[in-house]
Amino acid sequence: MAELDIKSILKESLPRVLKAIVWGALTFIIVYYLPMILYPTDLLPLDYATPLFDFAMIIVFFAVVGQLFSGTILGCGFGVAKAIVVIAYFFAVSDGGVFSVTLPISELTVNLAVDISIILLMIISVNLLNIVKNILEALVLLNEKSTNVVLT
Amino acid sequence: MKIVIRMFSIASIILWIVIVFFSGTAVYSVMKLDIKYGEVQILPSSSGVDFSLPFSIANNGYYELADLNLTTRITDPKGAVFDVSETFVQSIPQGSKVFENHTISIDLDIIISMDHVHLLLNDSFFNAEIFANLNFARAVPVQLSTNATIPWGAPFAHFSIGTMSFSPHNNTHVETRIPVSFENHAVIDIKGTLKVEAYNDSNELIAYGKASVNAPSQQIYAGNLVLYAKQENVLKLTSSGKMRLIFETPAFVVEWWEQYG
Repeated sequence: MAELDIKSILKESLPRVLKAIVWGALTFIIVYYLPMILYPTDLLPLDYATPLFDFAMIIVFFAVVGQLFSGTILGCGFGVAKAIVVIAYFFAVSDGGVFSVTLPISELTVNLAVDISIILLMIISVNLLNIVKNILEALVLLNEKSTNVVLT
Repeated sequence: MKIVIRMFSIASIILWIVIVFFSGTAVYSVMKLDIKYGEVQILPSSSGVDFSLPFSIANNGYYELADLNLTTRITDPKGAVFDVSETFVQSIPQGSKVFENHTISIDLDIIISMDHVHLLLNDSFFNAEIFANLNFARAVPVQLSTNATIPWGAPFAHFSIGTMSFSPHNNTHVETRIPVSFENHAVIDIKGTLKVEAYNDSNELIAYGKASVNAPSQQIYAGNLVLYAKQENVLKLTSSGKMRLIFETPAFVVEWWEQYG
């Protein structure tokens, strides 16, 4: 009986785990590896590899747990958490929308300030949409559970 | 409900595509910008000195650069503002190139009016605060700022007065010769009239005179000023005193005092 349970658990969870691993790897390639190939670190005088790696780790983590718990209330919770973390991350990295950096150019020290408020607003909007979408998904799941009456 | 969720998913994907596409093409466009600047040209002007910086921007990216405003603020080492210059380029559309000159004018009249006569007698430097603002794709405002120093060459550097010598001129006056030298470190030629008044240590005017001075840029001037004093005043002359020097050009008049003896 216990053997059967393990088998059924493995049968059900193994594909999920494999899917999560593949999804995580794909996400890492798209979010970190491809941008680093397109824009190598020596191309611009900025250290963008570290924040990009941090962002990739956040996205990979949520991609993996999202796949592991997909179709569950917990998965929706992770979806909401991902949106909030991504908003907070971009808010922190861009210093509230104005990204400032000091660049040494020949003998001068140049201060660069880029107002990326409009991009930040777009990122916040898309993540707010994701929050609403995940809450609605959670409601649908709860609704399906409560109306799923088994007649014996 | 599921249709609504699907619509949210589609909207989210579209927005992410827009964000990624804009960010990627924006970074690519910045990398394709070709900004060049030439040597700073120091040119004499009717009122002082002009520093001219030629620059060009070739916009080879995908987005327009708008409202480019290059501002420089020139201050002396104590922070007093001499000049604020602006160069404005309304738009650099994609695929176009602009050539501009950013000119900073240092007006000698302003230096004198601001009681900065010491800048005419001593070499110094100016601080230049440089700000560049532009609107990238009319969506992302960008600001660049930096500080630089500009060397200033004094037109009457190392001004010195030698020992007076006397010789009879006529029955009433005595001719006084004073050797004067200075180095013109400025980029402009110094041409004008130098008026001199010699006072003794009791502040009595003893002798006066004037001379034409022509000191080309980066040259040493050495000459004799000829002053005339009444014979009775020569006796009042003391071994030390003060000299009032007034230098007049069509562009400016500067006055300062020097000790002799």
